[in-house]
Amino acid sequence: MKSFMLMLSAAIFASCVGAAYADPASDYGRVVINNFSERAGMPAVVFDHWLHRGLYTCRLCHVDVGFAMEQGATNINKAGNFNGYYCGACHNGRTRFGDKAIFPACSDVSALGEKKRCYRCHSRGVDDVQMEYDFAAFTKALPKKGSGNGIDWEQAEATGLVKPIDYIEGVSIKRPAIKPQEDFAIHSKSTWMTDVIFSHKKHAVWNGCEVCHPEIFPMGDKGSVQFNMLQIYDGEYCGVCHDKVAFPLRDCERCHSKPVQ
Amino acid sequence: MRTKLKPLIFVAVALIAFSAPTFLPVAACAAQAVEAAPQSDWQAEFDDICSKTQDAMAMGVDELKAVLDRCDKLKVKIEALEGTQRKVYLRRLEMCRGVFAFALESKEKK
Amino acid sequence: MKKLLFVVLALLVCTGVAFAQAGVKKKRPLPYEYGRVVINNYSEGAGLAPVVFDHWLHRGLYTCRLCHVDIGFAMKAGGTSIKAADNIAGYYCGACHNGKMVFAGKPVFASCAPKKFTGDEATRCERCHSLGLNPPRDYDFARFTDGFPRGRFGNNVDWEKAEEDGLIKLTDYIEGISIKRPTLTIQNDFNLSPKVEGMPDIIFSHKKHTIWNGCEVCHPEIFIGIKKGNTKYTMQDIFDGRYCGVCHGVVAFPLLDCQRCHSRPVQ
Repeated sequence: MKSFMLMLSAAIFASCVGAAYADPASDYGRVVINNFSERAGMPAVVFDHWLHRGLYTCRLCHVDVGFAMEQGATNINKAGNFNGYYCGACHNGRTRFGDKAIFPACSDVSALGEKKRCYRCHSRGVDDVQMEYDFAAFTKALPKKGSGNGIDWEQAEATGLVKPIDYIEGVSIKRPAIKPQEDFAIHSKSTWMTDVIFSHKKHAVWNGCEVCHPEIFPMGDKGSVQFNMLQIYDGEYCGVCHDKVAFPLRDCERCHSKPVQ
Repeated sequence: MRTKLKPLIFVAVALIAFSAPTFLPVAACAAQAVEAAPQSDWQAEFDDICSKTQDAMAMGVDELKAVLDRCDKLKVKIEALEGTQRKVYLRRLEMCRGVFAFALESKEKK
Repeated sequence: MKKLLFVVLALLVCTGVAFAQAGVKKKRPLPYEYGRVVINNYSEGAGLAPVVFDHWLHRGLYTCRLCHVDIGFAMKAGGTSIKAADNIAGYYCGACHNGKMVFAGKPVFASCAPKKFTGDEATRCERCHSLGLNPPRDYDFARFTDGFPRGRFGNNVDWEKAEEDGLIKLTDYIEGISIKRPTLTIQNDFNLSPKVEGMPDIIFSHKKHTIWNGCEVCHPEIFIGIKKGNTKYTMQDIFDGRYCGVCHGVVAFPLLDCQRCHSRPVQ
């Protein structure tokens, strides 16, 4: 028991210390992908989640398009992108966002003009990559909260400030919605943390059912899946998203929110 | 006695060697004929029993019991086969018998 | 003592992550990858690459019943124990892949070779023994499935609708192997009610399943309960690859598409 406490405290301390030396808010949710890039003579891909997650649901990319939820696990390659898989599902020069066509991913030609387009994604270590969207400008009007991106994305969606797109023509197939379950409390075994109030409704907005079920959270009667904070810090269960892209685990009270009686 | 036997054996072998091209094909044919009969026997029985599986639910209890009996007798014959033929047909019979057993159980438990 | 406990705990956590069945999200296979089975009972031992069998082509041409009942393939990778000798003798793959059976005007290439394989023979071997290789294919997934009704996940094809619309015509009989039989009387569709509140009822259609499976694929081995409600099983059983999960999640449309089964609106 004492060792468990020791490890847990160490993990929390480490993340607090990490907070002191935190990267800028725009870097939270950064994924570096390098399955084949450097082997092909290109810089590694740097994907910052904040823009896509402000425009699309998590479900769209991680379920409909089929991206893995672990860095490097998807094995995206140029041929796949050309065939309309993964990034190529939208980054194909045809799919429109607003009034513009989204720039195509990858190229067979290595002329300098093309290279500029490559560097838009293959940007690790590349100087002055011109980004179309600036984090500060994009998030200026959005409600601020906590750490990570420092944005309350959930509130932003609830108030209509962001309208995540949940459908891509030719990729998504809509199904009738299943009504999310009511919010419920998850009992916290420790004596110093209050219970967690879990809201299916808030999660289903971004994830539908398929992002979490059944792979991350197997179905069963409530309480049949047991997990602890160490596993969450290790990137399992809640930790698949939280501490990587969704708000970090450092913001304890955002989950441990049941009022103390 | 031994000395007399040697040339006899030699003559016998020579005779067989010279007549082999004539007799061997006949012998082979005969052997085949002997094998072929049981093979078509169980195969015809298998085809007859297992062509009825989709009507299993429409058959009566007595009819199903009779078919199961036939399956069990056929299983003995298939077990006498060899190699992959035995393996494949045992499996096919298992699945086919299973449907009849399933139907019988559903009628008996009603 | 405490140090030891610490190390053990750390190791347990690490192994927990490494072997995590739940709690992590796997990559979704691409449409042409879904249904892929790798068979390696004897391949590597014989100096060949393991066999890669992609279901999509065969399932777009033949019923599940034909291969899994008439020919006798197991429904688990490596469960059949296919040997070259079996194929050459006309069993398993060799039931059709024998150089004699004609499909689409051409003979179906023979599987396996009796002697040591070199040159041209090796090219033929690699058509199936292809793990890690990239042999030229006769059929391309995108072209084969072009125009088929779209499905959600899996192969991204609604195979059931494709069959219904006549875009694919399933062969259910091989001369010399299949038994001539009259057509099956169709059982009725029925309801299955989930225990979880809020999940729509499942409408199970025997008709849709028997087109592909006949009776023997499912009864009695997968579904032994005689009367509806006799066999109790949960979604966890299904996700673990039992009951519906024997096919769905492996070759038939994946379980990720909840509403394909849970399709009756909650009243």
